[in-house]
Amino acid sequence: MFGNILFLVSALFSVLGAVGVVATKNIMHACVYLLMSLIGVAGLYLTLGADFVAATQLVVYVGGVVILMVFAVMLTGGADSQKSNRFGIKKTPMMGSIGTYIAGGISAILASYIVIFRLLPKVFEAQPVNSTMAFDKTVEKIGMLLVSDHVLAFEISSVLLLGALVGAAVIARPKRN
Amino acid sequence: MDYTVGSVAPIVLLPFFAFAINAFIVKRFTKTAVGISCLAIFGSLLYSLAIFKDFVFGQYATNYYIHKVFTWFDLGPSFKLNMGIYIDNLTAVMLLMVSGCAFLIHIFSTYYMADDIRFGRFFVYMSLFTSAMLGLVVSDNLLGMFIFWEIMGFCSYSLIGHYYEKEEAGAASIKAFMTTRVGDVFFLLGIVMVWHTVARATGEGSVALVDIYKVLAMGGFDNLTLWGFPLVTCAALAIFMGTIGKSAQFPLQVWLPDAMMGPTPCSALIHAATMVAAGVFLSLRIYPLLEAGNLTTFVAYIGAITAFGAATIALVQTDLKAVLAYSTISQLGYMVLGIGVGAYNAAFMHLITHAVFKACLFLSAGSVIHSLHDHHTHAHVQEMPRMGGLRKKMPLTFLAMMCCTLAISGIPFFSGFVSKDRILGDALLRALDDGGALWGPAVLGFVAAFLTAFYMFRMMFLTFFGNPKDQELYDHTHVEKLSWNRNVPLLVLTLFTLGFWYSGSFTGQKLVKFPVIKKEWFQTLIEKPEKSKLGRFKDLKRQEWSSVDNRDKTPLPKSSYDPNHGLSEERAHHVHHVHHIGAILSIIIAFSGVGLAYLMYVAGKLNPSWWVNKLSGWYKALQNKYYFDDFYIKGVIQKGLLKLNNLLAAFDMGIFDRFAIDGWKTINEWAFRLSGKFDDEVIDKAGVGGGPLVVKGFNVILRTLQSGKVQFYFIVIIVVLVSYIFSI
Amino acid sequence: MITLSSYLVISTILFLAGIVVMIARKNIVAILLGIELILNASALNFVAYTKFVNQNLDGHIFPLFIIIVAAAEAAVGLAIVIRFYQIRESIHIDDATQLQS
Repeated sequence: MFGNILFLVSALFSVLGAVGVVATKNIMHACVYLLMSLIGVAGLYLTLGADFVAATQLVVYVGGVVILMVFAVMLTGGADSQKSNRFGIKKTPMMGSIGTYIAGGISAILASYIVIFRLLPKVFEAQPVNSTMAFDKTVEKIGMLLVSDHVLAFEISSVLLLGALVGAAVIARPKRN
Repeated sequence: MDYTVGSVAPIVLLPFFAFAINAFIVKRFTKTAVGISCLAIFGSLLYSLAIFKDFVFGQYATNYYIHKVFTWFDLGPSFKLNMGIYIDNLTAVMLLMVSGCAFLIHIFSTYYMADDIRFGRFFVYMSLFTSAMLGLVVSDNLLGMFIFWEIMGFCSYSLIGHYYEKEEAGAASIKAFMTTRVGDVFFLLGIVMVWHTVARATGEGSVALVDIYKVLAMGGFDNLTLWGFPLVTCAALAIFMGTIGKSAQFPLQVWLPDAMMGPTPCSALIHAATMVAAGVFLSLRIYPLLEAGNLTTFVAYIGAITAFGAATIALVQTDLKAVLAYSTISQLGYMVLGIGVGAYNAAFMHLITHAVFKACLFLSAGSVIHSLHDHHTHAHVQEMPRMGGLRKKMPLTFLAMMCCTLAISGIPFFSGFVSKDRILGDALLRALDDGGALWGPAVLGFVAAFLTAFYMFRMMFLTFFGNPKDQELYDHTHVEKLSWNRNVPLLVLTLFTLGFWYSGSFTGQKLVKFPVIKKEWFQTLIEKPEKSKLGRFKDLKRQEWSSVDNRDKTPLPKSSYDPNHGLSEERAHHVHHVHHIGAILSIIIAFSGVGLAYLMYVAGKLNPSWWVNKLSGWYKALQNKYYFDDFYIKGVIQKGLLKLNNLLAAFDMGIFDRFAIDGWKTINEWAFRLSGKFDDEVIDKAGVGGGPLVVKGFNVILRTLQSGKVQFYFIVIIVVLVSYIFSI
Repeated sequence: MITLSSYLVISTILFLAGIVVMIARKNIVAILLGIELILNASALNFVAYTKFVNQNLDGHIFPLFIIIVAAAEAAVGLAIVIRFYQIRESIHIDDATQLQS
């Protein structure tokens, strides 16, 4: 019962958040909607029994990435800075116009074509089993997997993070003259 | 002894780690880096000694081998690549030789290179070089050998070009790299051919040596042809081309003399223990393939021509290192000749003995060159006409060089006599047995032996005997003092130029029995992999190379020396008889060579310049190294490759530009005119500006396609993805 | 009844929303938001499949790596955005049509 309620709430959160990201006209609001959507996804992870992934989602995404986004929005002047480009031609508004939404919608329909008519039939052939996995702790097992089967990917991702750290610092630093 | 990862991998990995560490610290901590290099190679030497002890003094029989593999990568059932180790007696002896020589050369380099501006950099590459050679020796398959082979090629490139300020050094390094590359391309082709044949025969592609032997024993190479030639001949020839390139055989010998532009210790490493030895070692490994491809006579001729040709060029060289470089080519020719005439054992023995005495010769030459310092140009002196009488100034170097010269000339009691005499004896045997074409290699071999004795003693007499020719240079030279990193490596190597280390007796022959008991360990341990003996590879099982060694460790019957070499009594008697004739002949030849050199350069009875005048045409040809360089540069590169390049360029400019691009223009013009007509006649009359509209439409499409807008590209990706998925 | 398909529907919605955002928005930061949505949709699929089909924990490892990659991507991407803003004084995607400077 609790599981069902959690699922419904989380699903609502994530779907509404995603729709909000699409619909809003304000970049700051979009960030907040994304936050909402990500929290919803974390809740969905919980209903799937993935407690560690859900916690990581909350800590890294909600606590880190979205805050980074908000900072970026604030550092770059928020909403529309200029209405026209350097040739004096009027720009499309930052948050999109009817034309861009039509293009995006057509692309989404095309993509959903793949999903609905090509991938989903295959999915339902996959014979999902009714889960018997209860809410047991996954942290320990994930830890073991990370340092045994997936140790190479684990190490490489640490190098990737280091590279991203250094790269971000180097790129964002203003040029010295 | 267990053959685990921990007991074999350090041989290769210690020098490699030394390289990896030194590459970073060499600028700051040069001394430490040099120490790490020397220590690492010493560690390799210890591990190699353990394997050597286990195989040679241990329980293993002649045909014992250890083959352990691990999966390198696995791309599905049809393409799985294993790497691993293959250790037999050949490997064990070779490992000890390579690591031992390399260690002594490292020690000597600390003396020779101490005042060099790139002291540390030299050691970085030396470590990698040694590591690659050791890796090649333990490698169990041709592809692994090829990888290490290429690493060596790169290292030789950077070591030869060590003094890259000098233009010749840079040119020499490029020449060495490009010339060996010619052979390497064929080697790679050979690997591909072998892979496919093995895949066809066993169902699983592999280039491991044991798999090649297995397929040969199964007859998997039979009846396969490539463009009408037997496939096995093509594959063997292609792989042997690698040897020709790496071991500087005719006709790709041109790079090796130039390779002496590098520092002398690196020449010692390249010419003795590693690079050129790798080629011969590869030929020894693929000997069954060469035999199955009926290439032995061809191989014998290549070797004999190289041995003879290089010996003749060495006669006229005046540079100390050039003489040694040509003598290296000549001796490598002997090894290849030995492989060709079936003297597998002797060829390998000559590889080892040559490595020892040639390393010693080069190090001695380095010792001489390093102490001769021209006070006007501040350069080291390598020209023999300016030396002379150095015996008194450098007695220890003289001792070392004299022993090595005696060894290379084939004087009894020294190692060169033992090994070279066996090669020549077998060449003579083949000539007597099969006759005909096989007389060529035998005769060339004996003549080259005479020339070798002559030019080596010419070098000795010009350098160490007589009166000093450049008195000022002589006076400035310090008297040699015993130092651990200058003389000790030389003396250790000198010790191993004695013949009894290799033959177990002082003479190496049964003719004179002294001492009576002889331990022919070389003859006993190294067995020619003839086709009849390959059957044991048929039912081999994969053994994982891991941290445990779980092979069957029951003691094997120890191999013992068979004086008849498995032949019938009568045949063995005949063989020994021929070998005695060969031995007596080569002793006579060697002493007459020495005697001629003595008459010419010490006693002064014969005047060399008279001979030069008499044979001026030959002299000029020899001075120009038989015009090989000219032929390659003027003939092949300028006439052939440049012409080809020009042809391609002309095709580009003339045909492609004219007909494709200009033609396109013409078509466009026609189309334009046509569409103009069409415009005038049809569209305008119809009252619609259709033509311009089409052009404009294309314009829009092209402009949009290359807009640089990321989102548009994203849409294109989605459209393409959808149409792709729709189509499947 | 919660089945695999309900999770797939949610992840499809997230994915499509991400695509629409990526194409319709002209703000670079907003495009990055879209990318995050798409990454989350795929990660959700991994976890859903591991629960209903595979039943081993490998599907929990992938979301972790996706989160790591997303974090790295966000850090570098936003650094580029800030640098771009310093140079062009704009974060309009159509201003970023030249690769040089």
